[in-house]
Amino acid sequence: MNLLISNLKKVVYVLGCLGLCSCISRVDRLEGQFAVSNQQDPSLSGSGEKLALIVDINGRPSVQLRDLRNGEILPLRHLSRNQPHSSPSLSWNGRYLAVIAQRGNQRVVIVEDRLTGRSHQLPIPRERIPVRLSLAPNGSQLAVQIAEKGKWRVQLFDLSSKIEPDQPFGSSLSTSLKGIN
Amino acid sequence: MKLNILFVNPSGFFLFALLIGLSGCLGGDMRPMNELNDLISGSSNGFREPILGNQWLVALANYQGKDRIEMIDLRKRTKVPLPGLNRADSQPISVSVSANGERLAVVRQRADRTELLIYRRKLGTLQTLELNPKGVPRRVSLDSSGRVLAVQISRGGKWNIQVIRLQG
Repeated sequence: MNLLISNLKKVVYVLGCLGLCSCISRVDRLEGQFAVSNQQDPSLSGSGEKLALIVDINGRPSVQLRDLRNGEILPLRHLSRNQPHSSPSLSWNGRYLAVIAQRGNQRVVIVEDRLTGRSHQLPIPRERIPVRLSLAPNGSQLAVQIAEKGKWRVQLFDLSSKIEPDQPFGSSLSTSLKGIN
Repeated sequence: MKLNILFVNPSGFFLFALLIGLSGCLGGDMRPMNELNDLISGSSNGFREPILGNQWLVALANYQGKDRIEMIDLRKRTKVPLPGLNRADSQPISVSVSANGERLAVVRQRADRTELLIYRRKLGTLQTLELNPKGVPRRVSLDSSGRVLAVQISRGGKWNIQVIRLQG
């Protein structure tokens, strides 16, 4: 009986230590590595539920959108061509996906609205080459790193007259939540 | 007079409609925010790796060949101090910000190590996140809450992405 109690105490002690360790590290892996190799440029949606990334498809860097809740790859209407893609960026619920793509011999910035199926191209003069970008959580602003005459700079664009805000869940806007999944 | 020609001549009207439609497709209404752009470009030799929060722009600014992380409050149009974040012995590589601007995720090079860190702005503290299994982080993205991050990591010569949830 004494032996049983002593063993039980040891088990409780070990479990307690393990619990403490997990609190100290404060890091918990949500997902393992995805199966595809060479994944780059991660961008989480504001909600943390969707992830845009760049993967090699037949040697062409292509944007891919994943639902982290079930690992599903979500369809993109306008972004299955115009590779190579780079620097994806998502709005709050993943309604808008902005990415740098190739049209002819020009790098262009494309914003796909996954709700309406429309795409918008940012008006950037040919001599300014977009390098990186970031969409504001509600989609109303876009920051673009531009290379021009050997120098990098960041330009902000106001998209609010073209784009309906993608608000967090529970806000008054209803249309932005439809048709995303 | 010109308007009269447009509406009397059907081909002129269709040309006019076509031009309006084309200008819509080309995103003519996506305007550069010139006042803010002047503020950003005037402050350093170069600005790169921009990240937008609700009212924040965070980026790597270059001063005399050295990068530092800078944060701009877009509503107040002022720089936000980041005490304890930029160090003389480290070089930032990638940065991301939560929507409220309170947390920043940073990848930086220090001596021969590449580190992944979380910076809490109110507290001015830096927390190192250990990768398991070990790898070299390159790019990082935070969600709006600042509690979920996706990291591009090199392991065995291949790039992979790991999603990590921070507790607390």
